[in-house]
Amino acid sequence: MDYRVPDRADTLAAHYVLGTLPSRARSRFAKLAAADPVLGKAVRAWEERLLPFAESIPPVAPPPQVWARIVARLQRPPPVQAASTIWANMGLWRGLALAGFATAVALAIVLMTPPVERPGQSLVAVLAGPDAKPALIATADRGGRTLSIKPIAPVTVAADNALELWALPEGGKPRSLGLISPSGVVRVTLPQRADAALARVPALAVTLEPAGGSATGVATGPVLFSGPIQRLY
Amino acid sequence: MGGDAASQPERNARLADLLARTALADQRAFAELYQLTSSHLYAVALRILRQSASAEEVLQESFVSVWNHAGSYAAARSQPLTWLTSIVRNRCLDQLRRREVDTVTIDEEDEGVMLRDDGPTPMEMLVSGADARAVKACVDALEARQKQAVALAFYRGLSHAELAAHLHEPLGTVKSWVRRGLERLKACLDAVGVER
Repeated sequence: MDYRVPDRADTLAAHYVLGTLPSRARSRFAKLAAADPVLGKAVRAWEERLLPFAESIPPVAPPPQVWARIVARLQRPPPVQAASTIWANMGLWRGLALAGFATAVALAIVLMTPPVERPGQSLVAVLAGPDAKPALIATADRGGRTLSIKPIAPVTVAADNALELWALPEGGKPRSLGLISPSGVVRVTLPQRADAALARVPALAVTLEPAGGSATGVATGPVLFSGPIQRLY
Repeated sequence: MGGDAASQPERNARLADLLARTALADQRAFAELYQLTSSHLYAVALRILRQSASAEEVLQESFVSVWNHAGSYAAARSQPLTWLTSIVRNRCLDQLRRREVDTVTIDEEDEGVMLRDDGPTPMEMLVSGADARAVKACVDALEARQKQAVALAFYRGLSHAELAAHLHEPLGTVKSWVRRGLERLKACLDAVGVER
């Protein structure tokens, strides 16, 4: 069906706003209207026509616990402004559902860090320990050659040990990306653009190695953290 | 929220201001926004969902969403209350339509907590709503059955199938009442000018 035929678009928008579209048609239309300015405009026009009629409904005060619950929700991390709607459409959250809720929260924190660090078209990995608590976040611009790794939870490492970051390629041996710091942001230089360098790398991992890192180029210590790479493009 | 016509631009300006400050994470502005609009929005949800628990949940989720997305308000270029109402209503309707994928009946006895309400009927609300907006002629211009079908769909969230069952008429007939009712309403409201 071509939703862009003006009359049909307008009729659908009218039924969407009135509420008579059946479930599947309704959600399909909502997605289209969010992406298509013509449909979006038709929806807003119908909202302006119809929704003021709702003002004649006699008001009913909601029970006080509703506000209490709202306030409780606000005390969680502050919202991701504006960006969230864009991100929502990028398959990001779908991917993260697999990685778990804690990861999603951690990623939300990353997105809220200063705008300079907010990735555009980027690769993001949240690395979590066996307890599933996110510990590190790795981000790279798709076209850039820097992978930034930032600890988001305290990580303790003995002085004679080091943390080493590994790319885990599909069906290949782990490839060292270098040493990282348990406390500050570390920027690892990639051999190519990030999207190429990490093209067939579904995940990253961090192992505990002797100071200076694995001497052999093969991971020797236990895997402390790992996580899938999300590609936001 | 009702209120006389003269105070509406003032109220809208106030709500728009509160939304703007909410976008900047001003919790007091957000609290005032809730205070000014929640009774209206809760009533909208109750009428459609007919269950106080679901209506409370929708109201809660809607305001959390408003907190998170107040910044996108300006882009919508709507009246603030219209924008807020759309958030609440859309959530209600999504939920209602999803429910119906499983069950198709709308049995008045079956509606749980929520009233065979004592308040005004959908028809009465459509008329008084039009009166408040000074567009009564537009509603009067609808045929009685168009008016009834549109009012039931709008205030109670009835689907086409539910309308047909409720009004004891074939689906096709009911659909065409709704469609013609909407067309006629649009022509008239657009001619009058939609702004309130």
